[in-house]
Amino acid sequence: MNKLMIILLLSITITVYADDLTDPIRTLLPFDAIPAITEPQFVPAGKAKLDPDASVIGVTFNGESHAYSLYLLNGHEIVNDVVGGKKIATTW
Amino acid sequence: MYSRELEGKTYTFGVSGKLWRDALLMYDHQTRSLWSHITGEAIQGPLKGKKLKSLASMPQITWKTWLDNYPNTRVLSVPVRGVMREDIGRDVYERYHTSQDTGVSGTKYTDKRLPNKQLVIGVQVQRQAGEDGLAGQDGADGQAGADGQAGADGGQVNIKNYLTQTQPKDSDNTYYRAYPLTLFSDTPIINDTVNGVPLLIFHDKKTFATAVYNRAIDGVMLKFMPKSGYTVQDLSGSQWNLITGKAKSHEAIDIRLERIPAVNIYWFAWARYYPETTIYTR
Repeated sequence: MNKLMIILLLSITITVYADDLTDPIRTLLPFDAIPAITEPQFVPAGKAKLDPDASVIGVTFNGESHAYSLYLLNGHEIVNDVVGGKKIATTW
Repeated sequence: MYSRELEGKTYTFGVSGKLWRDALLMYDHQTRSLWSHITGEAIQGPLKGKKLKSLASMPQITWKTWLDNYPNTRVLSVPVRGVMREDIGRDVYERYHTSQDTGVSGTKYTDKRLPNKQLVIGVQVQRQAGEDGLAGQDGADGQAGADGQAGADGGQVNIKNYLTQTQPKDSDNTYYRAYPLTLFSDTPIINDTVNGVPLLIFHDKKTFATAVYNRAIDGVMLKFMPKSGYTVQDLSGSQWNLITGKAKSHEAIDIRLERIPAVNIYWFAWARYYPETTIYTR
């Protein structure tokens, strides 16, 4: 009887776990409904209209640095960029 | 943040509008494969199973602090209703951030070790065969700031770089650890060793700056103590700037710590993708 219970419990656990491994892909929006940035434009630091306390993502490679406002990224999620010769995708 | 280069080809990425495990999937314009932006791995399409190289960035920092350290930085500018803007000054996901619901659609998933919306710094480290305890590391697939931020600005001494050695392919050797941001209420740094790799975890609650460094230089393990703000001190008394990773007292030769990819992420998301994660405790 005890053995049966253990087997039963084990099989339940395995079922739940297996289910989790096959997480479904769910479609929320069409492709590109949130427009990723593919040709980013930049301004020099001195011309940036940013609050001192604004949150940014900072990236620096080979002496070149880029900053992206987090709130701006909310509307785009991905920036396809090149920084210091490095091709990068910044995701948020 | 990922490299867009994979096996000699360059890809560009868009937003698929699809969710998997409560996070958005990217797609690449070239093959339309679907990629997890949490793991950098393609989960469907021609590139299924491929993994993008993780790169180190400063995942979140106040503008003023970034500018103080990188005065030549350029700033992303985006047209918003016809006007070029560098910021929009509001958070469209505010409700999402303040509720304990997980997932944009309110899916329930929970690993009760921490509250769902506890922010953690997530680090993954691979031990590499061969070298002693100092070898190995990393985010996603063994890449550090190796050719990234560490040494970014050029002209530094040639620090022996353990992290650019052969990258292990199997992920079985990867160790995951989460550092709840609440740990940093009374100190900006944690000296830790994960999977044999000595790490310095930095989070400044004031500027929200976050960074993870390999705290070995040239095979010598350093131990750090807080000094003030984002300046810390090693046991020899040298001071280091943890925004740039540079030794202040070594400006001329430009020694810097090697940055390791890390994410600021909600606990529920980190735990869902990496359920085997450990949580750092003092």
